[in-house]
Amino acid sequence: MLYERLVQSLVLLNVDGIECRYGSVKVLENVSFPVKGGDFVGILGPNGSGKTTLLKSISRTLKPHKGTILLNKDDIYSLKNVDVAKQMAVVPQESNIGFSFSALDVVMMGRNPHITRFQMEGTKDLAVVRKAMTVTNTWQFANRPINELSGGEKQRVIIARALAQEPSILLLDEPLTHLDIINQLEIMDLVKDLCTKEKLVVLVVFHDLNLAARYCTSAMMLKEGKIFAAGGLSEVITSENIKGVFNVNAIVQKHLVSNSVFVIPLSPQKPPSAKRCAVHLICGAGTGTALMKILLDEGYSVTAGVLNVLDTDFETAQFLKIPVTTEAPFSPITEKTHNENLTMISQASTVVLTSVPFGDGNLRNLEAAIVAVKQGIPTFIIEEVPIDRRDFTGGKAKALLVKLKNEGAEFVKSKNELLSLLNVSVEKIKIAKEERDRLLNHLKPGEIHKETEIQGKDHGT
Amino acid sequence: MSSDETEITYFRRASRWKYIVILLIAALIAIIIVSLNVGYAQISFGKILTILGKQVPLLDSIVDSSLILPSEAAIILQIRLPRIIAGVVVGAALAASGVVYQGVFRNPMADSYVLGVSAGAACGASFSILFGAGFSFFGLRIIQVAAFIGALFAMFLVYNISRVGPRVPVTTLLLCGIAVNFFLYSIVALLEVIAGDELHAIVFWLIGGFSNVLWSDIWAVFPFIAVGISISYFYARSLNLLAMGEETAQHLGLNVERVKQILLVLASLVTAAAVSLSGLVGFVGLMVPHVTRLVVGPDHRILFPASTMIGAIFLVICDALARVVATPFASTLELPVGIITMLFGAPFFILLFRKKKESYAL
Repeated sequence: MLYERLVQSLVLLNVDGIECRYGSVKVLENVSFPVKGGDFVGILGPNGSGKTTLLKSISRTLKPHKGTILLNKDDIYSLKNVDVAKQMAVVPQESNIGFSFSALDVVMMGRNPHITRFQMEGTKDLAVVRKAMTVTNTWQFANRPINELSGGEKQRVIIARALAQEPSILLLDEPLTHLDIINQLEIMDLVKDLCTKEKLVVLVVFHDLNLAARYCTSAMMLKEGKIFAAGGLSEVITSENIKGVFNVNAIVQKHLVSNSVFVIPLSPQKPPSAKRCAVHLICGAGTGTALMKILLDEGYSVTAGVLNVLDTDFETAQFLKIPVTTEAPFSPITEKTHNENLTMISQASTVVLTSVPFGDGNLRNLEAAIVAVKQGIPTFIIEEVPIDRRDFTGGKAKALLVKLKNEGAEFVKSKNELLSLLNVSVEKIKIAKEERDRLLNHLKPGEIHKETEIQGKDHGT
Repeated sequence: MSSDETEITYFRRASRWKYIVILLIAALIAIIIVSLNVGYAQISFGKILTILGKQVPLLDSIVDSSLILPSEAAIILQIRLPRIIAGVVVGAALAASGVVYQGVFRNPMADSYVLGVSAGAACGASFSILFGAGFSFFGLRIIQVAAFIGALFAMFLVYNISRVGPRVPVTTLLLCGIAVNFFLYSIVALLEVIAGDELHAIVFWLIGGFSNVLWSDIWAVFPFIAVGISISYFYARSLNLLAMGEETAQHLGLNVERVKQILLVLASLVTAAAVSLSGLVGFVGLMVPHVTRLVVGPDHRILFPASTMIGAIFLVICDALARVVATPFASTLELPVGIITMLFGAPFFILLFRKKKESYAL
């Protein structure tokens, strides 16, 4: 009880069951949440999910049809504009300032709620404005006309104006749209700082999930005008919620350096019915990574194996949720996993062998390919790097590759060739080519040199 | 510029504004005296100052007026001075309301006639010219009363058509203003067609001018204009906030809808009063705020008073020109001042813009 009352007294803003409509279209429905000093809340959601509408109804621009918004226990719509403006400042998405006021004039307008109609601004107001402009790094162009400033400078002036109001609640509607990365970080660092030190409530509509993840203490995701998820950051920004709200597959991980959650969205997936064909990749050491993504995007279902856990290709497969036959880290392929791999292969309609380096540990993958060919599964071998340069078994791998060729496996010179055989679109092939160039640079630089010489000769003849 | 300099300049601005206003008042007085000299009868500055001095309490015992002919005193005090004061009042009113309209509408095309006030006044005036001969209203000319009522009627019409619930969106106001203007002008055109001998009077009134202005005409409208301008001045900072956009103005603590209503009503009242005195003097309400903004900047706390002064000065100069330009051709012909404001104002305006357009972003 006591604790609850304590929490209640800390709550600055309480949104309770609001519903907003434009005409007969509901844009917000039953949205409720409390916010207290020091909260940094991100409002997330796709276009048209009601984020801006929510901010508008809190800032008294759009009165909700149902529900209440309490500011320190007062209904915000029963207060005077001046009294709200003393406590709440808004940074809009875009500011279109009609006349050429100086930046200082614009920030000084933030003092309006603190000055009566018959007063002029005093030294105290100028001191507040100066501080606001110093922290936003705008004081140095205080006398320049606002409409001669760049988008980023202008936005910082607008934020300074909001700070000049000395608010306890700061609402920002996608405030970073016009800013470059350094300005984005500086502004958000500043706002974050105010939030923690001065116990400001900060509500921000974010477009960028990663920025939201970096700064927010809590977040809410809106979908079609309703709260889909709300709470602590790590509870809200999850790949399930992102899939549910944005309909995008995304990888959500904790970043080792910034210690914040980060999100890697993947391209929206095409319907799986595009190509039903299943491709099994025999790869490793990153040689399969690009192919996995391209084949998935093209609608193939992809499997891979055998891959050692912690191998780059293994991690990619994990991200992409590709079924993999795995072997323990840095261990040779055992009979058991080999057989598992064979089972997986028997379900595939095509097998692709990448230019993976071979050692005694993964030699069995070549044997698996031979089994595939013998079973009559079309098998492609990509020979981007000649086998001599990636055979670390003293010729055993080369011998198996020759055998594969005799059994009827088809050799292709590059991923491009493979992809064109598989009817993959042109731009995807370009990506594959870049991947190949990178791969070549990776291997013994001396020989790369030789290869370019050879290419030069080719061109000569 | 160092930051302390920035602060000092900021505070110096208030005193600079005072100098500007004092300077403009001095200029206005000087121009009034100069234009008292302009006219068919030659009256020297010495005589003019003597006649004026005689009117000031305390000064009248010192001033020696023995050389002044009664006819000269009558020309100055009963013909030229009321006419000039009418110019001051109307010029100030049109310019001040122009500033308010441009500020509220955030539109550079807005002028004092934007809400249909001109067409309403024209309609009322035309009606009274055709059908109201001989009537009078508490000693006022019927045409003045009719124009005033017509102007207010048009404004309320526009205002109420464009109201959406408690709000008055500026876009609808502008569009309704245009529509009502066209409608009422079509009535004026109709009246002109059937006017016959009175056509000349209607056309003259539509152009606008100060011939035959009496002190009583001025006193009838002066309270509206003085009160309207004075109250509007205290909303100068509100106009600054409105320039940020209505939503932002609201977020900065302004009661946008109420302030808009107050300002629109005041400005329309001021315009209606001015128009009823002078007829439709064009261009002052559009041009003077723009020109003033080029000189003093966009802050309404100086823009509003400075525009008011410059509007007065501009119209007094134009009226003086109206009295002299035609003299070489016909000694008694006087042009309506509305012709002069447009004939000289427009090229001047264009010239100014060509010079300063790059620094002028609206």
